[in-house]
Amino acid sequence: MCGIIGYIGEREAQPILLNCLNRLEYRGYDSCGVAVMGDSIQVFKDAVRVKALEKTLPKLAGTAGIGHTRWATHGEPSPENAHPHCGCKGKVAVVHNGVISNFQSLRQQLAHEGHTLLSETDTEVIPHLIEKYYNGDLVKAVGRALEDVDGSYAIIALIEGETTLVAARKDSPLIIGVGDREYFIASDVPAVLDYTSSVIYLEDGDLAVITPNAIEVTENGVAVHREEHKVLWSVEDAQKGGYQHFMLKEIHEQPRVIRDTLKQYITAADLNADSAMTGSDGLEDLLVLACGTSYNAALVGKYLIEELAEVPVRAELASEFNYCGQISARNRVVVLTQSGETADVLRAVKRLNEQGCQVTAITNVVGSTISRLASQVVYTRAGPEISVPATKSFMAQLIALYWLALPYSRVDMRRLDNLIVGLRQLPAKVQQVLDNEEVIAECARYLSGYDNVFFIGRGINFPIALEGALKLKEISYIHAEGYAAGELKHGPFALLGDDTPVVVAAAPDKTYEAMVTGIKEVKARHSPVLAIVSEGDKNIGELADWVITVPEVETIFSPVVNVVALQLLAYYVARQRGCSIDYPRNLAKSVTVE
Amino acid sequence: MMKQAIILAAGEGQRLRPFTVNRPKTMLAVADKPIVRYVIEALSQNGIRNIVLVVGYRKEQIYDAIGSGEQLGVDITYVTQEKQLGTAHALAQAVDVAEDEFLVLPGDNLIVADTIARFIDEKPGALLVKRVADPSRYGVVAVQQGIVQGIEEKPGEARSNLVNTGVYAFNKEIFNYTGSVLDIPEVLNNMINEGHEVNAVETDGSWLDVVYPWDILNLNEEVLDHVEPAVGGTVESNVFLRGQITVGKDSVIRSNSYLSGPVIIGSGCHIGPNVCILPGTSIGDNVVISSFTEIKNSVIGNDVAIGPGCIIEDSVIDEGCAIKGHLTACSGEGEVKVNGESHSVSYGVMMGEDCNVSGNVVIQPGTIVGNYCQIHAMKLVGGKVPDRSLVY
Repeated sequence: MCGIIGYIGEREAQPILLNCLNRLEYRGYDSCGVAVMGDSIQVFKDAVRVKALEKTLPKLAGTAGIGHTRWATHGEPSPENAHPHCGCKGKVAVVHNGVISNFQSLRQQLAHEGHTLLSETDTEVIPHLIEKYYNGDLVKAVGRALEDVDGSYAIIALIEGETTLVAARKDSPLIIGVGDREYFIASDVPAVLDYTSSVIYLEDGDLAVITPNAIEVTENGVAVHREEHKVLWSVEDAQKGGYQHFMLKEIHEQPRVIRDTLKQYITAADLNADSAMTGSDGLEDLLVLACGTSYNAALVGKYLIEELAEVPVRAELASEFNYCGQISARNRVVVLTQSGETADVLRAVKRLNEQGCQVTAITNVVGSTISRLASQVVYTRAGPEISVPATKSFMAQLIALYWLALPYSRVDMRRLDNLIVGLRQLPAKVQQVLDNEEVIAECARYLSGYDNVFFIGRGINFPIALEGALKLKEISYIHAEGYAAGELKHGPFALLGDDTPVVVAAAPDKTYEAMVTGIKEVKARHSPVLAIVSEGDKNIGELADWVITVPEVETIFSPVVNVVALQLLAYYVARQRGCSIDYPRNLAKSVTVE
Repeated sequence: MMKQAIILAAGEGQRLRPFTVNRPKTMLAVADKPIVRYVIEALSQNGIRNIVLVVGYRKEQIYDAIGSGEQLGVDITYVTQEKQLGTAHALAQAVDVAEDEFLVLPGDNLIVADTIARFIDEKPGALLVKRVADPSRYGVVAVQQGIVQGIEEKPGEARSNLVNTGVYAFNKEIFNYTGSVLDIPEVLNNMINEGHEVNAVETDGSWLDVVYPWDILNLNEEVLDHVEPAVGGTVESNVFLRGQITVGKDSVIRSNSYLSGPVIIGSGCHIGPNVCILPGTSIGDNVVISSFTEIKNSVIGNDVAIGPGCIIEDSVIDEGCAIKGHLTACSGEGEVKVNGESHSVSYGVMMGEDCNVSGNVVIQPGTIVGNYCQIHAMKLVGGKVPDRSLVY
């Protein structure tokens, strides 16, 4: 995906661009670069992290500039492939986030016309096209160039001789931070929070011309007005404040996140009437789509909605659904995407819209693309999630799913009352798991020596086993796999031995007996067992080699406390192994490619 | 004028259990705000924005509440004291980030801007003192013509009424003396014996300490008097509000409730209907209080759920407690032993975090209930109930 940034105003651009790029790094961090416009355009880029670039970068004077931090799609990380890219004469510079799907034919065409392209990227065609069409007016040239281009883009272009930045958006996010006689163009809001809390969200098809004094936006050639919005996130939200890693800070924010999410939705004994999914009176079935960690939340949603509403729920990976999912207009659909920009999910929703489905989107980013595509948007109030591995956004998604499920509950009033009381108790229960951190860190020390770890769970905790494995593999690079506990003996058992620990997420419900049997079978193969058990547990605690105790909650809420224990476990294992944690290798925060 | 302050916030506060099992003393909430935040605000209001926080015990609680300091308008640098070995040792941890001159303050004594307003102009080598009624709990300072003669910790017979507030003005030279000595008063006594001059400056401003759990109630009452009233939530019809009342965002006060200030209520709370909240009460965030419950001069933590028909007076109920209903926790006289010392007290109950109290429980005045306790219905509870107890 990548993060792009542009600045135009009265201050020196270079320090501002670098600061914003530091904040944008979670979108991609294998290469970066800046272009600053003084008398001429000066470009400096390399296949390094932003902090490293800052050390070697000479002082580039100028009050307008663009920058980029890269997550490589086409072309490996290298100085040549890094952005910004320029035209032949070095007078046009462009940064780009997205994928140009017809770049091969464009390259051939441009080469044929005498252009020399220096990199392997798809992006490079853009500055050359702008160069080709330039006739004294950058906006016109950019507009014309983009007509030749297929695919997705968020671009910012500048050209020698014009004190303007031109930005365009199609299927990749782009916002403009509004300052006092200065503007900050960026892929997302956290990049500009140091400078302003007023932003304009560009929409697909927008072409914006930005000078130090004004912005003009056109959509398909017609002038449009885009509202300025006040952002509720603060710079504080995007800082570590004492913590060594954003991930640990965000794990610790979860009690507050649950409180904030609940505040909007639950009103004592009455459920907020707005909670009904649009077009879902008399819910008969439900389709839930998501990717990655959000998919694990979707699976928890499946279990809890099936239990409470007693209707069949289908949870699918958005990427797979795009190749074969059967849908009808009758389908009620919920999609989950933290960033609101996940390409696989957006593609699915466009298809669902064409079929006439009603889509409810659960997302954490206001103004994201999904919020424009879905019929209904439920915003989780987790604040910006800076760490690449998702933690608090997952928690917020769970809470949103509980809230969506409650109005359809076919359980009796007393059970419903208890559920609402239970929901309100969750911040304190999660805080209890956090207060027990040292025990978890101790278990992590043992786990960190292994190369392969299995996670098992049953029922509503099966997705939590998947999530625990995902977190561990993401940040500690240990090969971890999650399995439904019942599946282990259908194959994976062949891998078990004394060097493959098994992590168990258990709850004292109808799956408990089967879990105890499963653990005995695992222990018979000499695998060490780490169990997450509920307070007061009698059996599993005695079988396991290491035990993490979480507070007792109703089974339907057990994913909430269990996942926090597994997040902390993954974190401390990764720390023990000296891993980067907030910026894991090869990953980026919001997957805007398919 | 001093530009930097070092706040010592690493201590546990053992005598404040059960409330300090999961949080450091500086994070105890008074009128819905942790003590350390009052210290930071007092500094910021006096123009000191460069703050070093020495943390240790349960430091994550401080990170969560204070963060980078951005929202409080200050710039915080964190330094960790791995083992809690005394105030001088804590200060010594900050040697690499200390400027040439700085203030040192305790993170667990509640102060206001006024308390240090004059002190920030002092030259290094000064100590802030205050006249108190009961000096033998503290470090008593012998002063002659404005110069400190010596500090005596918790003397049997106090020689004066001036006590050490723990607020100092130092320069980097102090680090030459913190070496093997554990506490700052001892460091000062050594320096004075070597001939150094330490000025004593007296303050009239608030300086409040908590040593035992029930001290929280005094602090709470005193601070509440100065909280600006504001109603951010929803107040239904027929609710009576009197005196200084603060209600947080998204909170709902239901019909026929009676709130008599000074009272502060956090955000996302549901109070009522028909609930009485009487003067001196602080209620945190996400708290539910059901009908016909009366709460007087008490501190209720975040995420607490209190069922109908309870009477709670002069009590502290920590976060996450779930009280089913008809709890009787009336105020009265009692005897409590803390660290082997006996104290005569007068309060309702001191209840730790995440307790589960079933219906119709009666708690005798002067009781301390630990964290994570479970109390079955219709029990009579008294004395000191350890953490994780089951009363059945």
